[in-house]
Amino acid sequence: MPATASGGARPEEAASPSVSSPSSYCMGTRPEELTARLAAAGRPPVGGCGGGGEEDGEHERVRTLREIKNQIIGNRTKKLQYLRLGAVPAVVAALAEPGVSPAALVQASAAAGSFACGVDDGVRAVLAAGAVGHLTRLLSHPDEKVVDASARALRMIYQSKLAPKFDVNNEKNMEFLLTLLNSENENVTELAANIISHSCDSNTEQLALCAAGVPQRLVNLFGGSMNLRDACLDSMTSIIRNNWEVTSRFALMDHGKALRSIVALIHDRSPRTRLLACLCLIALSHASPSHFQDRQIKTKLILVLLELIEEPGHVGDDAPLALTTLIKDSVELQKQALSTNAVQKLSNHLLANSLESRRAVTILLALAELCSKLEESRSQLMSVQASTLIIDALKHACADIRVAACSCLKNISRSSKVLSAGKLSCDTFIAPLVQLLYDSSTSVQVAALGAISNIAVNLTPRKSILLDSGAVSQLVHLSKSMDPTLRLKAVWALRNIMFLLNPKDKDFILKELTLSTLSSLICDSEHFVQEQTMALVHNLVDGYVDAVNYVIGEDGMILNAISRQLNSAPASGVCIQGMFVLANVAAGGESNKDAVMNILVARRADRIKPSFVVNFLQSKDKQLRVSTLWCILNLIYPKCEASSVRVARLQNAGVISQVKGMVNDPCLDCKLRVRMVLEHCLDNADDGFM
Amino acid sequence: MFLSRIVLRDLDSIDSPASMASSKKLVTRDEWERKLRDVKIRKEDMNRLVMNFLVTEGFVDAADKFRIESGTQPDIDLATITDRMEVKRAVQSGNVQEAIEKINDLNPTILDTNPQLYFHLQQQKLIELIRAGKINEALEFAQEELAPRGEENQAFLEEIEKTVALLVFEDIKNCPYGELLDVSQRLKTASEVNAAILTSQSHEKDPKLPSLLKMLIWTQNQLDEKAAYPRINNFSTAALEDPAI
Repeated sequence: MPATASGGARPEEAASPSVSSPSSYCMGTRPEELTARLAAAGRPPVGGCGGGGEEDGEHERVRTLREIKNQIIGNRTKKLQYLRLGAVPAVVAALAEPGVSPAALVQASAAAGSFACGVDDGVRAVLAAGAVGHLTRLLSHPDEKVVDASARALRMIYQSKLAPKFDVNNEKNMEFLLTLLNSENENVTELAANIISHSCDSNTEQLALCAAGVPQRLVNLFGGSMNLRDACLDSMTSIIRNNWEVTSRFALMDHGKALRSIVALIHDRSPRTRLLACLCLIALSHASPSHFQDRQIKTKLILVLLELIEEPGHVGDDAPLALTTLIKDSVELQKQALSTNAVQKLSNHLLANSLESRRAVTILLALAELCSKLEESRSQLMSVQASTLIIDALKHACADIRVAACSCLKNISRSSKVLSAGKLSCDTFIAPLVQLLYDSSTSVQVAALGAISNIAVNLTPRKSILLDSGAVSQLVHLSKSMDPTLRLKAVWALRNIMFLLNPKDKDFILKELTLSTLSSLICDSEHFVQEQTMALVHNLVDGYVDAVNYVIGEDGMILNAISRQLNSAPASGVCIQGMFVLANVAAGGESNKDAVMNILVARRADRIKPSFVVNFLQSKDKQLRVSTLWCILNLIYPKCEASSVRVARLQNAGVISQVKGMVNDPCLDCKLRVRMVLEHCLDNADDGFM
Repeated sequence: MFLSRIVLRDLDSIDSPASMASSKKLVTRDEWERKLRDVKIRKEDMNRLVMNFLVTEGFVDAADKFRIESGTQPDIDLATITDRMEVKRAVQSGNVQEAIEKINDLNPTILDTNPQLYFHLQQQKLIELIRAGKINEALEFAQEELAPRGEENQAFLEEIEKTVALLVFEDIKNCPYGELLDVSQRLKTASEVNAAILTSQSHEKDPKLPSLLKMLIWTQNQLDEKAAYPRINNFSTAALEDPAI
């Protein structure tokens, strides 16, 4: 048996039904009665029954199975009810019994397939009862109706993520799959295509299927019925996804004829086929851009997908997602989309259909992608009535819509033009965004934080709106969250608000945040949170001399935390920001310089352990080298007696000789700072202080 | 791109100063008919259009006769049309449970993968119970079968509320939601069923002929702006009418 069901939780055993009259021929339709009758039908007959009795029994079983089937199809509640009664093992058992009539097999297959549709517990129960094995065996049953029924049931099972993967690396399995693909029965070939879509996700599986000639066979099946063609397109996509080798082979197959047959399908009459063909071509172009340089096809894809948005159902819902995947990270394709009025068309659709359902989510996400790079898209979206729609979406009851609206705003606010025009820094946008910081869904909070971070960057004259909105206290609250992503984004937003802020407001934020929270964030368990916190401190001390008191005051709580992090040499991003903080502090008076000096070159450990500064200067990261050089430069400037003492200490710690070795640093900025440091050293030495 | 732009500009400058009526081209009936005769349409294509219509709409006897007379092969097994028509008839005559069971026999995946259709059939069942005056049964059915669907879907809930509202009125035919009891409601459900079965059989759910007619109307409207010509106004006779000058 090629396919086997994995083990799973067994469903609850049947509670023995209280009202049961298995001997009676009156056909009850209550689930309890039917389940009991089915279980009784599975037992071997007691005593010597005549042939007529067996026939009656079989007839009775078919009726029972059919009744159960008709009750559960489409009906979630009934499925759950039968699951609780433990009906699934009895239904599946009928598939395996010797001598069962084809009629009973058809009904049992249909019931098993339906249990596996739409209810996860149903899938688990069907798998646990061993249905996959039995149904697979029935695919070679002589009765065509049984074959149809079992193929359909297996298709329902393989639609679920819970279904076991079909291992195509196994030779026997592959052979079996090929016989299915070559079947005359379209239900069976469609099943084969579904199995491939369900099971094929690794590189080796894709290559194995390709080597077995599956792509060729799938292309041949495009000539079949519409449903079969759609299934084949979908499995083709899963075979080529992210696989350069398979894609290149496919592109050259039959001198490009196979590829052209898919291109032709983007103009098919059926909208679903058009969408699936687009998805397949998008996967092709991502897997192997070199085989897919024809810009015309990509323009066509954009046009077809924009048209498909008008289609009802899943096709229209998924078309914007396909468009998003197509144009992701490609400025060129985004420009093309823009030139076909994509922003206009998408937002018109939203305006015309109100914010209903999944489509609003996918359209907003597509709009967000269009605004990720292009200034023109952003201004279009801000100018049409769509901007009021985005505000509505921020307040929508559905969390996914709120997230998508935040993504739009985040990407629009990447534009310094929009920001400096102050279009987003008004209460109409800020108030609902700040409200979302209190949302019950974490993903909404994260999305809102992203938008607020961007808006905060460049709203210098209007930052008061953000500060007055009560955002700061909630940001501080979120910076203490258990969720690392929330902490990261909250600190990031605070960092951006802090950027070029006036001293009074900086004081306000710090009062809310408190020094102890700040120091624990510097020592956060996640290095990306550490980095943003260091950057927050960097923005705090930048251009505000008195702020240094926060850093070196309170027994140097903050400075100690920074020192601890730099000494433990975490990620370079953390070190860069930390060194910038120290450089800013060292730009102040003598006491500041001394405090920094004591971190760089610990008094007692002078000769025992090399200073981390030396490591930083040797780093491959030029930004780390630059920030460290700036810090040294600020320590030995201006020329004075104290500076000479510091030069001497740096020299003793091996820092200066390390700098001397950097006169030919490949980074120009570094090279310049190195020269400045060395000049100052010489100046200080000339005066005979050394 | 550039070429078409230039051409459009030219048209603009010609059209705008002159009055619209005088710039319309006149096509006489003789000329028009001569031009129509020059267009060759293959008989087989016409026959396939007719067959497509008969099959999609479910006229199985007519389709079979037409197959014998014209030699046109239908793109679907005629036996499946009979099944489909039986389902449709069951809905039209109010036997919803029978229709559901027949659909499940035909293909058990249709109603499982089409929640909206399943809901509309259940709703129709409720309507039939109310029509038959089986109030207790109707209430029980609404509670046990329909209420869970409403919990899963807001739009369904609203439709359930409308349907159950029928129970409140004494003169249900004239109550605000009385149209649910109309024959048209049965026809609506029946045509939804018809479309779903066709889709499951890989067949397009709408016949091609009506879209061709729509295209004809669109084309005539476009042409009206540029020319006076023998128009088809009566689509059942397709007679050409002399242009009004």
